[in-house]
Amino acid sequence: MHPARVLVLAGLSVTFMTATACKGVDFSVGRSATASEAAQPAAQAVALPNKEGSFKFAVLGDFGTGDDSQYELARTMADVHGRFKYQTVVLVGDNLYGSERPQDFRKKFETPYKPLLDSGVKFYASLGNHDAREQRYYKLFNMDGRLYYTFNPNPDVRFFALESTYPEPEQIRWFENELKASTSDWKIAFFHHPLYSSGGRHGSDIRLRNVLEPLLVKYNVSLVLQGHDHFYERIKPQKDIAYFVVGSGGKLRSGNIESDSGLTAAGFDRDLAFMAAEIDGDQMYFNTISRNGQTVDSGVLTRRKVQQEP
Amino acid sequence: MAASRVRLVTLITVIVIASGACNRDVPAPPPKTSESPEAAPPTKRVVGPLSEADAAALATMNDGLKRYVDLHKDLEKGLPKLPDEATPEQIDKNQRALEQRIREARKSAKQGELFTPEARPVIRRLLAAVFDGPEGRQLMASILDENPVGMKVGVNMRYPDTVPISTVPPEVLQTLPKLSEDMEYRFIGRHLILLDAHAHLIADYIENALPE
Repeated sequence: MHPARVLVLAGLSVTFMTATACKGVDFSVGRSATASEAAQPAAQAVALPNKEGSFKFAVLGDFGTGDDSQYELARTMADVHGRFKYQTVVLVGDNLYGSERPQDFRKKFETPYKPLLDSGVKFYASLGNHDAREQRYYKLFNMDGRLYYTFNPNPDVRFFALESTYPEPEQIRWFENELKASTSDWKIAFFHHPLYSSGGRHGSDIRLRNVLEPLLVKYNVSLVLQGHDHFYERIKPQKDIAYFVVGSGGKLRSGNIESDSGLTAAGFDRDLAFMAAEIDGDQMYFNTISRNGQTVDSGVLTRRKVQQEP
Repeated sequence: MAASRVRLVTLITVIVIASGACNRDVPAPPPKTSESPEAAPPTKRVVGPLSEADAAALATMNDGLKRYVDLHKDLEKGLPKLPDEATPEQIDKNQRALEQRIREARKSAKQGELFTPEARPVIRRLLAAVFDGPEGRQLMASILDENPVGMKVGVNMRYPDTVPISTVPPEVLQTLPKLSEDMEYRFIGRHLILLDAHAHLIADYIENALPE
């Protein structure tokens, strides 16, 4: 088995704190990761504050295989939930691979995440290229019959789910109107195809980026969560926006992060992983946790506060 | 001396091969409908406004599409309404029932009823114009990503459950005529299909619509 690989490169604008700086939850088990190809030493894992009243959520993508490894990561997610009570999981697509008969919904979603579902955790899906459009009616995906939608689980936080396989002008107009109307401090977009990714298999979707990025910049989106490439990657902030690829939920593409992309702030492509995050005021803390419970990346980012044009 | 003779022979060979390639019967790329405005906003057609003739040709799709959508809605009405918060069983039953009803109602449907013979060449030309730019290769790659080439398609065929749906880039969606809800343009390999997304049915198709 390969050791966990985390690339930590220079030039981050996210702020790292040491784990001892706050009394929170640190999921690191022993040594959190082996830094390699690093331009500077790997940062010490940042603990999630686990503060009462903060907004806690998790991010998962490209997971619906029904394989043992998906189940193992799901168990880790449940373990983490035992100590860090996130109530929302954002899904960045490819929720069910292959057949989508009723038994597949059970095997690839309901059974592995049963402990979380039983605890009242709500999953909010976006659709990937492996997902049938009917998933929008599935009650446990909370899409209310919509291919793209928005929700705010907390007064300060608004999520925007997009359908990135079919970015028709109507959807883009809807997105702009919703962004414009939102007064939430934190605007977070999530969808399947990555605007930025170092994936050797897929990589950045520049066509989609050309359409979406101007809106993300203009309307103060702080964070974009994406999938499609089957690994975890934290992108160096682009135009002051934080991007993560979290396609590491069930179908790993080992060694697929191209180290010469110039995009990677940190990456992990040696095992499955999900992201646990906590928004407290203007800060978002995050831990990316692998199947065996190791924190493979962590940090803090500050939301954008750009004056929005009238 | 011998070396220079070899170089001369090589040069002549290259010229002969190259001139042969140039003389091959390669069709000229179809003319663009019109040039894209440089700063065209995403909601504008990337190939510019349509000529009257092209607009008229595309309009021949309207009647067929309207009939199809009306049929879809009628048959859908006869099914128990799918709640916004459905179980997998409800979703599956509803989808397969609609698929069956549409297939039954259109059992004599043929290729070209929606993508009319008049519209097909215009659509091919519009697509060629979209892919003719410097980013055409990248655009094509995004469509063909995880998309099996060489698969057969047919009217009333169920969209293959194991085949991921293709991405349809914004440029393509901005160029092709707008569809109503539940109808989508998708690609299976190089074939452009009209997908009834709710029924999982291929309503019509244009084979090899993507330029080589």
